[in-house]
Amino acid sequence: MREAGGLPDIVYRPRGRLPGTRIGAHRGRDAGGPGTFRDQVPFLRMPDARRIDVRATLRDPFEGTIVRRFESRTPTEVWALLDLSASMLFSGEADRMTLARALCISLAASATRIGDAFGLLGCDGAIREDAVLPASRARSQVARVADCLKAAACTDPRADGMAQAAGRLAGRPKIVFLVSDFRWPEALIAETFAGLAPHDLVPVLLADSAESADLPEWGLMELDDLEGAGRRLVFMRPSLRRRWIARETARTETLRRIASAHGRPPFRLAGHFDPDAVSRHLLGS
Amino acid sequence: MSEALARLSVDHPLVLWLLPLALLPLLASAQRRNPVAALDAAPADGLSRWIGGVLRAAGLLAIAGLVLALAGPSRQGETITRTGIGAQVSILIDRSGSMNETFAGRQPSGAEESKAAASRRLLADFVGSRAHDLFAVTAFSTAPMLVVPMTDRHAAVRAAIAAIDRPGLDYTNIARGLAMGLAQFGAASPTTSRALLLVSDGAAVIDPRVQETLRAAFTRLRPNLYWLFLRTKGSPSISDKPVGEDTPQAAPERHLDLFFKSLRTPYRAFEAEGAQAVADAIAQIERLERDPIPYTEQRPRRDLSGLAFGASLFGLLLLVAGKLAEVDLRRKAVAVAPAESAPAPTRRAA
Repeated sequence: MREAGGLPDIVYRPRGRLPGTRIGAHRGRDAGGPGTFRDQVPFLRMPDARRIDVRATLRDPFEGTIVRRFESRTPTEVWALLDLSASMLFSGEADRMTLARALCISLAASATRIGDAFGLLGCDGAIREDAVLPASRARSQVARVADCLKAAACTDPRADGMAQAAGRLAGRPKIVFLVSDFRWPEALIAETFAGLAPHDLVPVLLADSAESADLPEWGLMELDDLEGAGRRLVFMRPSLRRRWIARETARTETLRRIASAHGRPPFRLAGHFDPDAVSRHLLGS
Repeated sequence: MSEALARLSVDHPLVLWLLPLALLPLLASAQRRNPVAALDAAPADGLSRWIGGVLRAAGLLAIAGLVLALAGPSRQGETITRTGIGAQVSILIDRSGSMNETFAGRQPSGAEESKAAASRRLLADFVGSRAHDLFAVTAFSTAPMLVVPMTDRHAAVRAAIAAIDRPGLDYTNIARGLAMGLAQFGAASPTTSRALLLVSDGAAVIDPRVQETLRAAFTRLRPNLYWLFLRTKGSPSISDKPVGEDTPQAAPERHLDLFFKSLRTPYRAFEAEGAQAVADAIAQIERLERDPIPYTEQRPRRDLSGLAFGASLFGLLLLVAGKLAEVDLRRKAVAVAPAESAPAPTRRAA
């Protein structure tokens, strides 16, 4: 599937079968309607004369009447839970907020095209009401998401709102994309993942090679924390660079450990946004 | 230490009000900033912290040094009194016409040297052989001439002595010469050893009235008196009694000697009949005058702004080195094509 703009859609598949009676794009828990053949059941279990399987009925030694059942297709909701703390302003190899915006817009387009609803929930120290869009199946949701993210400012140094977001996503299981750089305390990461456990959680780690592999070998760097933790001079040299990269690797590993315990490993979004890579990650795990 | 601080002064004290500017490096850094998502991504590093501290200190030093240098710091001059070995020596030199003659009483010709030239040569060695002697040079003939007042500038004293072989004048008026030679001893501590060195080749009658004044001055100052008598061959010695009448007019040398002996100050007369004898006499005087003497040393005012500029330059060089060593986190403008930039389908006119 390809949009006129040129970017392919993100293809996702919810875990398990979804409940619901509305017609959508994903495998439903209920049987009925047209769709993929699911199984054959006795007529008394599903008294639908239109679906009588003549061959199976004739073949049945007990002369029972067999009915075909088909899977219903149901829609789901896709939510993007977006970190809007100040660290998202980081710009290295790529602009972090641009990447996140591209991902959200692509998700909105992909979801609404197949009839799923897309909702956006921006959080920093608390839930950012100016960056909250209720789930909607309207195709205009794409434009709304773009407008909303264009105006969203990242100023708060904290991301505690993430833990509260679970309360907003109550109800039936949804697909939740947790988009952040995960520069949070480990306790907050664990709390957020635990709160969102009922949903199909897809962590998206916004990384940048400038923060790890592309660090300079030698030189003086004055680091200025975007979240207001002050400035620090760092004398880069190969030994420090190794330690730095090891530290980043350990952080990513911690995130992977927590995320895997809740279903899926994190998707690393770095450099440039490629929807196909997201699809591959989603279908592969 | 506090005394050394008290002698520091500045030309423009108002400029020092700018000194708080030196604290600016504590607030802001000259390094280019690299925004990072989280500071604790960088591992803690002692060397980096140390370098950061050094750069901050360098900025502080650079600004403080510049402000101080603009204020024009200097160390004020001072006079230091120290104690050394030496004496206050007042040299009284006869410049009468006879000094131009040789020891033989002739005009010098060829390799011969006059009495003045010989005493010049030998006295020049005497001056400056010890660092802390003070010298005054007075010349006299008919009237006394102050050549160099009491000073420790040996170069000036040597120059004065170098001038004593200029052709002399007229007669010998020893009384006024002595008075001026004595007047050169300034106020000094009573322990200071003083010496009056009279170099002459003759003597004159001292008026009895003047004798009293001189006697009083000698009693007050108590200098060691050395008379270097450059005797011309054949002329009467100090101790020679004249054949005829024993009056000051007949034998002025003998009577001057007697006058000196009656002063009750340490007195020695050296009778020299040649350059070698003069040298011996001077060596002897040098040996005798060995006493502690307080001497003063002048320290000139010293401009310290060069030092301040130097410190500032050092700080600036460190800062420049820091700037040159700067690197950035890698940045690259990657075109992330967002879906919103999809071109709107153009409408074609049919």
